[in-house]
Amino acid sequence: MTLEEQKAGSVTILEVAGRIDSASSPSLHERVGALIAQGSMPLLLDLGKVEYISSAGFRVLLLLARQAGKAGGRFALCALTPKVKQLFDLGGFLDLLPIANTREEGIAEAQ
Amino acid sequence: MRRPSSILFGPEDRPPPAVTFVSGLQQVGLMSMYLLYPALIAKAANAPPEAASAMVSLTLVALAIGAILQVIPMGPFGSGQLCHPVPSIVYFVPSLLAAKTGGLPLVLGMTILAGLLEMGLSRALRRLRPVFPPEIVGIVILLVGIASGMVGLRIAFGDVQTGAISRVELVIGMVTLALMVGLNIWGKGAWRIACVLVGMVAGYAASVAFGTLSPTDLAAIGHAEVFAFPKFGGFSWSFDMAMAIPFAVAAVAATLKAIGNITTLQKANDADWVRADMPQVSRGVLADGLGTVISGVLGGQGLNSGTPGVGLAAATGVLSRRVVYPIAVILFLLAFLPKLGALFYLMPRMVAGAALIFAASFIIVNGIQVMTSRLLDSRKTLLIGMALMAGLVVDAQPQILRLLPEQWQPVLGTSLVLGTVIALALNLIFRMGMRRTVSLTVPLGPIDSDRIEQFLRESGEAWGARADVIERAKFNLVQSIETIVEGCDPEDALEVEATFDEFYLDIRVSYRGPLLELPDRRPTNEEIMETEEGHRRLAGFMLRRFADRVSSTYRSGRSTVTFHFDH
Repeated sequence: MTLEEQKAGSVTILEVAGRIDSASSPSLHERVGALIAQGSMPLLLDLGKVEYISSAGFRVLLLLARQAGKAGGRFALCALTPKVKQLFDLGGFLDLLPIANTREEGIAEAQ
Repeated sequence: MRRPSSILFGPEDRPPPAVTFVSGLQQVGLMSMYLLYPALIAKAANAPPEAASAMVSLTLVALAIGAILQVIPMGPFGSGQLCHPVPSIVYFVPSLLAAKTGGLPLVLGMTILAGLLEMGLSRALRRLRPVFPPEIVGIVILLVGIASGMVGLRIAFGDVQTGAISRVELVIGMVTLALMVGLNIWGKGAWRIACVLVGMVAGYAASVAFGTLSPTDLAAIGHAEVFAFPKFGGFSWSFDMAMAIPFAVAAVAATLKAIGNITTLQKANDADWVRADMPQVSRGVLADGLGTVISGVLGGQGLNSGTPGVGLAAATGVLSRRVVYPIAVILFLLAFLPKLGALFYLMPRMVAGAALIFAASFIIVNGIQVMTSRLLDSRKTLLIGMALMAGLVVDAQPQILRLLPEQWQPVLGTSLVLGTVIALALNLIFRMGMRRTVSLTVPLGPIDSDRIEQFLRESGEAWGARADVIERAKFNLVQSIETIVEGCDPEDALEVEATFDEFYLDIRVSYRGPLLELPDRRPTNEEIMETEEGHRRLAGFMLRRFADRVSSTYRSGRSTVTFHFDH
């Protein structure tokens, strides 16, 4: 898994690529958790290049959403591929987290 | 789900009242030619015209009930799709046989049994998929078409029993058929939709004008009441084991036809359609069978979801289930018009023959399309060819049937029964050696997801498996290995086995250690975040939902989890 940080106005975008599984999810948790702790919000996670996400990845996303909520900031996801979206649907996460269809929509909603 | 642009009103939509009514009226108009079947069955049983009229009326009542059962889902019944029943051609041929040997009571009794069998089959459709592949569905539809076309030809051109036809009758028949064909090919709008009805009305008119419909016949229609309550309870029911096989084959054919129609409408409604919604199909087949049982109990003919109605719905883009209300009301009102039954009963034979030949042409082509909907390998080619030859030999070389044991000759002596039985038997035999298995050992330690996915991807390519099924299997395999390695503390390497058959893909993961939990309830977010147990339960929940079926066993310290995917 690789992470690339970008900025669009006040929005911090983290582009995730590859697999979010039990091996890679701790580093995602650590990196995004640090950004939230620094107050780098609104924070948008672009999952457009994610090929796979396991239950460990979903757990980390829930933990990050809770952390952002406590910090009073906005944390959202965007650009899910159909395959990944199906996994979100399967795990019952589609309505739990704010998800934008595209990065542009995600930025507009976050600002 | 994405609605195609050609669909104006989907199942849940509420079209304007005028559109709903006109759509319902067209559907009933299309159905009208099938009312010929109960009249012909009553005729074959040598029943008096009043009995035939009652049979048509009671079939209409059953049709109204069957339409509501199919289109408006209630409990376990009804697909919710606009695929209401018609008096079925699949029950027509066995009903003629029963009518000749045991009269109407045998027709009604065997119709009830066939409906019950279809209801039973609806509960096991998923497991029966390998027994009824598209080749067999197509063969059954094709044989139904050929059998009904043969009946049409015999009725029209006469046989030993009916004697030779006159020149006038021949001309009337030809004109009737030409009108139906002409309006269907070159007609527009309502003329095209009503081509059969128009042809039949013209045939009747010509028969009256040229005297082939006798004054006695016309008097019988005249004497029939304009309005009367259908005579319930005027029939009895009987059963005969010799008729069990023809009616069982008809029930299987009805099941296959209902599956085809419901699937067609599912496809028509969803531009992203990938595979059939089997629970919906199952509810639809259950309602279809119940409609036939109700018809048999009331005194009507066997019913089955009508293919032309499905075609009409798809062609006009009006798939709203509200259309069923005018359909049911119109059918119910027609049941109170005995003149209608008498009119069908006295249908001139050339008109009846023309309508059957016309309808059979569409059924034959529909059968060929279904049969060839998948790539035909040598197994399927031989199955289709041999089953068809077996079916056709009954009419072409009936003396070959004498090779069969004497008691089986009457049972297997129709093209539909013999062809279907041979197709089913060959399918079971030819399936031998189709199952292929590959295995992989996953050592303990860091999980090499790429290697695991490559194993399934390459196997899937070698088998010609569908990409979407392999994708789902890949997720389940990687996620299950990840969860087992982290949560079940396996003592040694995990063994993976993937078994593929044309109709399913089974993935088995076995290991020495405690069983992986596969809950059917999603853990709460708090459970997922706060405990490892909650996280593992989420994994198990997702694994269960992604597969079509899951099972797990624990024996002598070894756990095996199996994920089943329909293909």
